[in-house]
Amino acid sequence: MAVTDLPEFIRADGPDKVTGSGRYTADMTLTGQLVAKFKYGGVSHGRITRLDVTAARAIPGVFAVLTAADVPDVRYSYGLADRTLFATDIIRFEGEIVAAVAAINADIAQQALDAIELDIEMLEPVVDLEAAIADGAPLVHENIDSYEVTGDTPHSGNVATHSSISMGDAEAAMTNAATVVTSRYLADASHATPIEPRAVIAQWEGDKVTVWTSTQVPFDARAGVCETLELPTSKVRIIAPHLGGGFGGKCGAHFEPHIAALARVAKRPVKLVFSRWEEFIAPDRRREAMIIDVTTGVDADGHIVARTGEILLDNGAYMADSSFFAQAAAMHVAGPYVIPNVHIDAKLIYTNHQPSGSVRAPTAPQGCWAVESHTDEIAKAIGMDALEFRRKNIVTSASTGCVGQTYDEIGLDQCLELATTSAGWGTELPEGEALGISVGWWPSFAAPAGAYAKLHGDGTVQVITGASECGTGSVMTLRMLAADEIGIDETAIELIYQDTGAAPAGPGSSGSQTLFNHGRAVEKASQMVADQLRELAAAQLEANAGDIVLENGAASVAGSPAISIPIVELAAASETGELLGSAAADAIEWPEITGSTCLGEQGFSSWLAPQFSCHVARVRVDADTGVTRVLEVHAVHDSGTILNPVAAHGQVEGGVMMGVGQALTEGTRYDERGHQLNAGLLEYKLQTIADAPTITTQFVEIFTNNAGPRGAKGLAEAPNVATCGAVNNAIANATGVRVRQLPMTAERVWTAMNNPEAST
Amino acid sequence: MSNTTGPSAVTLNVNGVPYPIVINTDRTLSTVIRNEIGLTGTKEGCDDCECGACMVLLDGRPINSCSYLAAQAQGREITTVEGLASQDDLSPLQRNILAAGGVQCGFCTPGMLMSATALLNENPSPTKEEVRIGLSGNLCRCTGYARILDSVIQTSVEIN
Repeated sequence: MAVTDLPEFIRADGPDKVTGSGRYTADMTLTGQLVAKFKYGGVSHGRITRLDVTAARAIPGVFAVLTAADVPDVRYSYGLADRTLFATDIIRFEGEIVAAVAAINADIAQQALDAIELDIEMLEPVVDLEAAIADGAPLVHENIDSYEVTGDTPHSGNVATHSSISMGDAEAAMTNAATVVTSRYLADASHATPIEPRAVIAQWEGDKVTVWTSTQVPFDARAGVCETLELPTSKVRIIAPHLGGGFGGKCGAHFEPHIAALARVAKRPVKLVFSRWEEFIAPDRRREAMIIDVTTGVDADGHIVARTGEILLDNGAYMADSSFFAQAAAMHVAGPYVIPNVHIDAKLIYTNHQPSGSVRAPTAPQGCWAVESHTDEIAKAIGMDALEFRRKNIVTSASTGCVGQTYDEIGLDQCLELATTSAGWGTELPEGEALGISVGWWPSFAAPAGAYAKLHGDGTVQVITGASECGTGSVMTLRMLAADEIGIDETAIELIYQDTGAAPAGPGSSGSQTLFNHGRAVEKASQMVADQLRELAAAQLEANAGDIVLENGAASVAGSPAISIPIVELAAASETGELLGSAAADAIEWPEITGSTCLGEQGFSSWLAPQFSCHVARVRVDADTGVTRVLEVHAVHDSGTILNPVAAHGQVEGGVMMGVGQALTEGTRYDERGHQLNAGLLEYKLQTIADAPTITTQFVEIFTNNAGPRGAKGLAEAPNVATCGAVNNAIANATGVRVRQLPMTAERVWTAMNNPEAST
Repeated sequence: MSNTTGPSAVTLNVNGVPYPIVINTDRTLSTVIRNEIGLTGTKEGCDDCECGACMVLLDGRPINSCSYLAAQAQGREITTVEGLASQDDLSPLQRNILAAGGVQCGFCTPGMLMSATALLNENPSPTKEEVRIGLSGNLCRCTGYARILDSVIQTSVEIN
């Protein structure tokens, strides 16, 4: 269907998505495909004493049953190579895969799972962060010293990474401070929870495998398949059909290797579709639980003079991409403040929980929630207004932050003023209602990315990119960049994306990098096409190529728009009938810092093109029940130049909403043996439309050098940072008490109000 | 399971088209719509009536097709997201949700559209609160819901 007359910035994939014609991975069917299912360990810590798949293999209709014995003996993971595709000896979390089956239908696949004989000797699970690092604690990984180490990853016992940030002399400065405030906060683990459950289909043709998968990062997924199945890059092609959300949860290689291995043995295509329960328990991407202890000293004028902190983070059973989490958490507990003396120490701890991995701004919502709650506690302790205290202490243009990074032009002060003005800070509110402020920050990330641009003889352009569209609309924005460079209408640009067989490599949809990195590559590749058009036009118009203007689908000499040549004619007249551009984004230098990382430098202390935000939440707390409703969130963001306003507003609104969920209801509950108790949507409680606050968004657009296209920074993760803190400060202002556990459920709010001693 | 269920010939009317098919009587409507009839616009997000991605209309009423037996839908009119657009263009609701920015990953969109269509059929001029109630069975993780809400209100203005 041709959809016409839609307004500007309508996403190119939109019509497919609203008509149902767009195919997601689970919507695909290949001839002869089998159904895959996984056998999970089911216990959080145990030793496999017997694993026999003979009976399962003998069931008619079962084409493959795999265990660790059937795949290469490869240990993988960045930081510490601590895991294998299938459990070998020890089961370290309930969702650990012991075996995989492929059968002719789901019922027979289930029969095969049931026929697998698995005996497990129970081991004492490690489920408590403080107990995990106490002397004599049982170890999650007995042989940690034998694991291959990558990066600066100091580790010992149950400590997977130990990292810190440090500047000045925090201890001495604290001694001289006029007021010292100490706070402790506990954050539960939570989940990315995309509405699309993971799905993977693998099909071999000869010695090459094609994997269709719901991944945010096709090139990382390819790397994972290649590494674990010992295949060369050229033999593995990853295609991501439409992707039904990710939020970080679909980063990394997940189950693509298992399904590729099954399909190879079964000699048929194999398809996996996760149940919602599996979505909760099996992926190595959940938001990490934390214990945060933070102490801040301020002088008599209310300036922060020192901050110290200790953070424990729950890594779960294995490293996913979590090696930088300790340092990231330390940065968030320091916060976007001018602090001359700081020492924050963070440990990422192995437990027998599901592995932690990147979920939208990993470590930030919890870290920010803690430090912004703490910030209001400091302001209260010295009798200063929470807005005034932040005005005095936040980082501004040319000021130097917690690790000694001096910022270029930044807009946090504007975010603070605009958000508090928008919310009406200081005005009288009805009984039980109050406002709360939180500021937040998050870096942008530079990574290698390439792009191709191809102008066809018919005047249409294909942009071929390694970018991934997980919903944000960033890939859709790439069309606009190419159209502007080449001087043609956006609708003449077709995007080819999410296919490692077609596109140059790139980071995909992770770390808010789509526009930031892929955008720079697309811009450059499109410029190469534009340069060729200018040369061709210059020859025909007898002008210098530098004077040729490309706009509205035609080339003309600057100042003489009356005489022009349609771009379609130039392309058709070229030697091959098409013009090609191929480029990689330029490397970007990270900013210098003067502070230090005493240990565990994981690339998260210097922040490139840092983004800033201020959220002000208005809540109503029911005094009888503790039930909290977020009525309004006023969000103001500095993410540099905004290129696609509809998508940008969508990111802020969605990020805030996710933050409201984390603030009020979303938290994984565990039993004493480390099993999830609320691994279902009804029990986990995402926010519904009935819960949605009014979200008012503004952008402080500051052109940023050393950043993405046209001065853009990243955006998708930043809106998820500050909301929880704003909600907690609003609850505290409404009730007069401080909730110290995240999520701030009705029970916890009620307990804080009625029995403060028992509230942590 | 196979004692009480088995293959059965049924005819399901989906988007005005009769589909004579043979199905196992224990199969859910979402499974049959997706796998037997081949209309994959209807999504499965939880298989437990919690996410609303599988919402279809049964004689105009919204139901979670993941928890409804396909065989029970015989003789009734089933509408899926594929049935919303005309031959030539999107429905006003489809157009408005797209224009408002109410579509991101798109996985909840079909179910959201079906719930909103049912709501507007029953109540062509809903208040914002009525839209919130009408769509509260459809989870969206991407948008924060505001633009979806706006698009339903916008559509109600256009169709009245």
